[in-house]
Amino acid sequence: MKLAVLMSDYRTGSDIVDRLSAEKLGIILVGNGVYHAAAKEGGKACPILEKKADFYALTEDFESRGFTADKLDSRVKAVNYGDLVDLIFNDYEKVIWL
Amino acid sequence: MATKKLAFVVRSLPYKTEASRLALTHAISSQTVEIYLNDGDLVEASISYVGDGVFNILKNQQAGKHYGITTNEGHAKNTLLLDLKVLICKEDLDKFGLTEENLVMDAEDLGGDMRANIVSYNEIQKEMETADHLLFC
Repeated sequence: MKLAVLMSDYRTGSDIVDRLSAEKLGIILVGNGVYHAAAKEGGKACPILEKKADFYALTEDFESRGFTADKLDSRVKAVNYGDLVDLIFNDYEKVIWL
Repeated sequence: MATKKLAFVVRSLPYKTEASRLALTHAISSQTVEIYLNDGDLVEASISYVGDGVFNILKNQQAGKHYGITTNEGHAKNTLLLDLKVLICKEDLDKFGLTEENLVMDAEDLGGDMRANIVSYNEIQKEMETADHLLFC
């Protein structure tokens, strides 16, 4: 299965992400989910970024929170709303929201 | 003739919910409540940022551009135009690798002369202990 996961929270959902598996997994960080890409705790990147997946963060959401694309972890690609729609329609068969 | 101490503690992230913004707006509005009190009665409010709440005061928030709403950064700046004590937890800034440069520390550009204070969590704990009313958001 080709699965896209929209992750909109920072403190919840990581346990589910840990267990998910898919032939192609995309994790799209939106809303407060963008802190997974932009915040470091104790100098360490968020553990979910260790997951074998393609990571994306919604530009509108991280910019609204005071971050810029150059502050994102290098494993995460910045996308806008248009890119997000293309991803969902072209690259994934199923989408879930955490 | 009494002073009521209010402590607003912001612990939640901005934008997904209204919680942290409500703390800021309530802290700001607490300054106007004295018109409803008896002569000599006072309200003294403080606002503290702890845990994830420190992200509310990051500079350069662009919620106006993307969401069409005022930013929490702007609200935080407004608190510095008033007679409010603003405290930021040092341990949490250190945890996230944030410094004064990243944060709204004053409202000089708006004519304010107050400054936020970066303090240890113990100071915030004392603020909570000495408050008559404690509001966590």
